[in-house]
Amino acid sequence: MAVLRPALSVPRALVQTSLRQSPRCAVSRRLLSSSSSSRSQNNNAPPTTPEYAVPDPSRPTHFGFETVTEAEKRERVAGVFTSVAESYDRMNDLMSFGWHRIWKDHFVASLNPGFSPLSSSSDPRSPQHILDIAGGTGDIAFRMLHTAHVLNANPSVRVTISDINPAMLSVGKQRSTSLPASQQAALSFVEANAEDLTRTTPLLTSTSSPSPVPPQEIPSESVDLYTVAFGIRNFSNIPAALREAHRVLKPGGVFACLEFSKADKFPLFNTLYKEWSFRAIPLIGQLVAGDRDSYQYLVESIERFPSQTEFRDMIVDAGFVVAGEGYEDLTGGVAAIHKGMKPR
Amino acid sequence: MRPPALRLAAASARSIRRFRTIVPSSTSSPSTTTRTNRPLTSAVLLNHQLVPSSSPRRSYHSTTHPPPPGPFTPVESAILSAAYQHVPTHGFTPEALALGARSAGYLDISATVVPDGVFGLIRWHLVTQRLALAGKKTALFGAEENKLVPGEVARRVEALVWERLMGNKEINSRWQEALAIMAQPTYVPASVKELALLVDEIWYLAGDVAVDPSWYTKRASLSAIYAASELFMTNDRSPDFQETREFLRRRLGEASEIGDATRSVREWVSFTASAGINVLRSKGMPI
Repeated sequence: MAVLRPALSVPRALVQTSLRQSPRCAVSRRLLSSSSSSRSQNNNAPPTTPEYAVPDPSRPTHFGFETVTEAEKRERVAGVFTSVAESYDRMNDLMSFGWHRIWKDHFVASLNPGFSPLSSSSDPRSPQHILDIAGGTGDIAFRMLHTAHVLNANPSVRVTISDINPAMLSVGKQRSTSLPASQQAALSFVEANAEDLTRTTPLLTSTSSPSPVPPQEIPSESVDLYTVAFGIRNFSNIPAALREAHRVLKPGGVFACLEFSKADKFPLFNTLYKEWSFRAIPLIGQLVAGDRDSYQYLVESIERFPSQTEFRDMIVDAGFVVAGEGYEDLTGGVAAIHKGMKPR
Repeated sequence: MRPPALRLAAASARSIRRFRTIVPSSTSSPSTTTRTNRPLTSAVLLNHQLVPSSSPRRSYHSTTHPPPPGPFTPVESAILSAAYQHVPTHGFTPEALALGARSAGYLDISATVVPDGVFGLIRWHLVTQRLALAGKKTALFGAEENKLVPGEVARRVEALVWERLMGNKEINSRWQEALAIMAQPTYVPASVKELALLVDEIWYLAGDVAVDPSWYTKRASLSAIYAASELFMTNDRSPDFQETREFLRRRLGEASEIGDATRSVREWVSFTASAGINVLRSKGMPI
């Protein structure tokens, strides 16, 4: 290791030298020195939102391996999930050999929602508000409720499931009817764009009145735990969504993300995994769900999603602080859990 | 200290590090971050340095370089150091972590950002106690560096191991729980690595400069002795852990006896072998 580590650090040193020589970097360094002082005074709110974190419908982004505008991506992602909503859970099992359940269980167990230390006060179980973004079919939310209400005996935990796609939400709503009544009461479903949580629409059921419900805002500093599982790579503007998460979280609140990532550390395993995802998954999609294109998009979007460290740096850039490396690899890096905390 | 096999490589690695220090370090200052208009790629590049690596940069001790940054980020340190205060009463448990997050001014949920949960708290204990040894060195041995009489290294090793064991005094009643968690298959590699780092630190601070194969045997035997003493200590109810101290002395004594014995055997074997070869040569055998 004594040999490897310093030798590996040489390229970074070279990168730094070359950066220093480039004129653009000189500009950004000047900007750095002016903004670093303001940041140390107010760690909570980013002083200015960088241009790349402001949603712009005409900015180019990627949809799988294609380049499209942000608005177009939003539409096409909506199309993908509307078409896969019914078969989504069955397909997850087939594509990952059921292993996604292990990941999700581990994700929820590592967050331990509803846990409160025993203390001298009369009721040690403090209420928590969990916001499950892109939580459509409720996989994460139902596990959260089970951990909080049953395992941690804390009924004052409520979960808001938010998804941009009403089709996915209806599947979740349907599945939630098999939950105990107390857990159903702690659930709410809203339709919202994760890049702008100031306008959320409660999910309309067929029995409710047809009059349009006015959009509601998820207030700033109102959420204890913000989770997004296998959703963030479909967002049109990830930096904007991260900043919106930062806004709605209370100081000390946790941003937790479960997402596919890179298994580059194990080349042989990575090759097998890539073969499986690019050859088998679209085929399974065609056979089981009758929709090859949607599953082709799914594997391409996994490929285009940033690596563990790059995504960790995006989280830090949005104003969160991380502990340790800031992420945890699952199954050799096929998926990864990223966590960040909103500082005080 | 580094193993002899790595000496040469480490020397060349050091010269590479020297090359790195020529580069002025203005952009690598950890306070650099920005929220202004600039492409995401450079944001990612610059912000990478905000997050210290969880493992130390170097695997050997150096007197010519500043110590590598610790494995804990500021928020982790804040939560863990507060949680550590609750260990004597609550043990190495999620309770202690959540209470620590509360004392640090965060929410119950905040403690879940600490990697590996409860094991993170145990690692905090292991790392802080190991790093504290270097500070106690001057108090234990005084400032003179180069006066190492024979037997002095062994005496220093005993003193350092004892000092480290006394680091467990506050949480001794909870240490069996911690050992059980460290023995979980997920955490065994990290725990063993931490033991190796501790033993390496002890030999380094004791002033051992051996670069022969005894580098390995010394570390292996001290690892076994330290782990055994620590386990013995969790059941020790004697005042000031006198029985643990005796136990440690006996184990170190045995190790040095075994070391002496193997050294004698080796000397005898090599002398007899070379004498035998010489006898055969004197008889005209072409060896």
